[in-house]
Amino acid sequence: MHLLRTTSTSLLGATLIATAAAAQDQRLDRLDPSVRPLVASVIDSARAAGLPTEPLVQRALEGATKGAPGEVIVGAVQRLVADLGEARSALGPGTTPPELAAGAAALRAGAGPAVLAKLRRARSQTITVPLAVLADLVASGVPVDSAAAAVLALASTTRDADLVEFRRAVERDIALGAPPGMAVSTAASAAYGAQGLQLDAGARQSRPSRP
Amino acid sequence: MTAGTHARAASLAAGWSLLVASAPAQTAGTLDVGISTVRYDGFLPSGAVTATPALRWERPGVGISARGTYLRFESGHRSLQGDVTGSLFAPRAATRWRGELAAGVGASRYVDFASFWHAVAAARLHLLEGGRGAWISGTAGTTSYGTGPRTVAAGGAGAWLRLAQFTVQLSVNHSHIGDTTYTDLQSSARAEPGPVVLEGTLGARLWSRGGGRGSYGEASAAISLGPRTALMIGGGRYPTDPIRGSVAGRYLTLAVRVRAITPRRVAFPPPRAAPRGASADDGTSLPAARLQVLAVRGGPVRIVVHVADATRVELAGDFTDWEPLALTSTGPGEWEAVIPIVSGVHRINVRIDGTAWIVPAGTTRAPDDYGSGVGIFVVP
Repeated sequence: MHLLRTTSTSLLGATLIATAAAAQDQRLDRLDPSVRPLVASVIDSARAAGLPTEPLVQRALEGATKGAPGEVIVGAVQRLVADLGEARSALGPGTTPPELAAGAAALRAGAGPAVLAKLRRARSQTITVPLAVLADLVASGVPVDSAAAAVLALASTTRDADLVEFRRAVERDIALGAPPGMAVSTAASAAYGAQGLQLDAGARQSRPSRP
Repeated sequence: MTAGTHARAASLAAGWSLLVASAPAQTAGTLDVGISTVRYDGFLPSGAVTATPALRWERPGVGISARGTYLRFESGHRSLQGDVTGSLFAPRAATRWRGELAAGVGASRYVDFASFWHAVAAARLHLLEGGRGAWISGTAGTTSYGTGPRTVAAGGAGAWLRLAQFTVQLSVNHSHIGDTTYTDLQSSARAEPGPVVLEGTLGARLWSRGGGRGSYGEASAAISLGPRTALMIGGGRYPTDPIRGSVAGRYLTLAVRVRAITPRRVAFPPPRAAPRGASADDGTSLPAARLQVLAVRGGPVRIVVHVADATRVELAGDFTDWEPLALTSTGPGEWEAVIPIVSGVHRINVRIDGTAWIVPAGTTRAPDDYGSGVGIFVVP
């Protein structure tokens, strides 16, 4: 009888918590009713742990828009909680929610926690954009080491807009035929100096061949 | 030894180099297909169709490029050129000096009567400092035009300066090829406005014995059209190159470049299950879209989607709470929305005429945790 009462109380409590959490963000109403409390519970746990919840809501909404099954949405949100937690450990206290979201994306792309920590030390301003550019470069096929070296070199002195421009230059050179690793080295040279410069005849492939 | 034998040897050397490559190496390949009009000195002008495959293998400190050019002229005659070049850089040191060893082999053949091959090695010493640098170089090797090989010996020096997206370079080279001797002074400039790379070269063969004289100049534009395609335009006049066996001429060429080999992208953890909805990855043929993000700091972001043919274009992203947002048509094939988006990394998908959500070009594609892809872009 005692066990039954305890179990009922626990279930009731969990349901109330989940319902309360779900009620906190009406956007989650778009989720399937069977999934909503599960997602809300994950989000609530993240909130209790001090992690930003907006990226989690967005990840769930993305799944809803794409018609993903409920368990896949819950799994995606749980993975993002883990990534955000790891990003916070690497970046330290005082990290802003956008920085944590960008850090989680960088970790997911393959950058190690040490790179995130170095980036934090290298730049006194917000590191949201450097982290985003790092994740973006790695997702484009740039080796993690090359991407991290370039972003670390640029981060301390380069404005956010110039970092985005640097990213565009890499994208353009990749489209013109440069291997991503070389494209990032060349673009980084253009942005901060010449330590990575290569002057050999075959390095720049941006000209059509002569007939 | 024939030009064909040398070309095969060069290909084998390049292939062996690629095989022994270790993990950090990356390979990229492109194919240029285009049309040209060319007038070699002493010949009538001619149109030609060109195909230029190129392969670049790269790892830190080492780079190898292989490039071939096939031309078919109006007359039906064909020309074939190929070369492989490679550079090995000394490790970065605390000093501003950096050494480079380079080598190149190549061959060319025109109809049945003109065949060249060459093999050269060069050493360069670079002085690098911030946005400027200089180098000195020495080259030695051999080249052959059908008959016996001729010795190649050359020396050169140059300097460059980079200002934002603009680079200028000045160099001087003195070359001895058998009993032919010449000195070239050359300047070049390169600008990189957005998706375009503009390059120009002006030079003069100041002094020559058997290598021709005069001034020359070339200009080119490479316009990135998407992650895998680019438009290449070039033209001008180039001098005789006694090492590679090219005759001086004027030309204009227009080509489309297709990226044929792309390095493997980062491997993400696979999603746990496939989604119910269709996606761009499910084998269905979906229309293509290209995204432009025009951000003004502190203001709303203008998102433009270019689609060849559509009656309705929508986007959804973390800045719309993943609610589909219908775009407004602003012209043939152009749709846009102006949205407040905060600085940071954002996720987006586009839907055309109610079909599946796709990843637009102009963003970085990443797995989306839902069995499909999502476009990533950054707002500064």
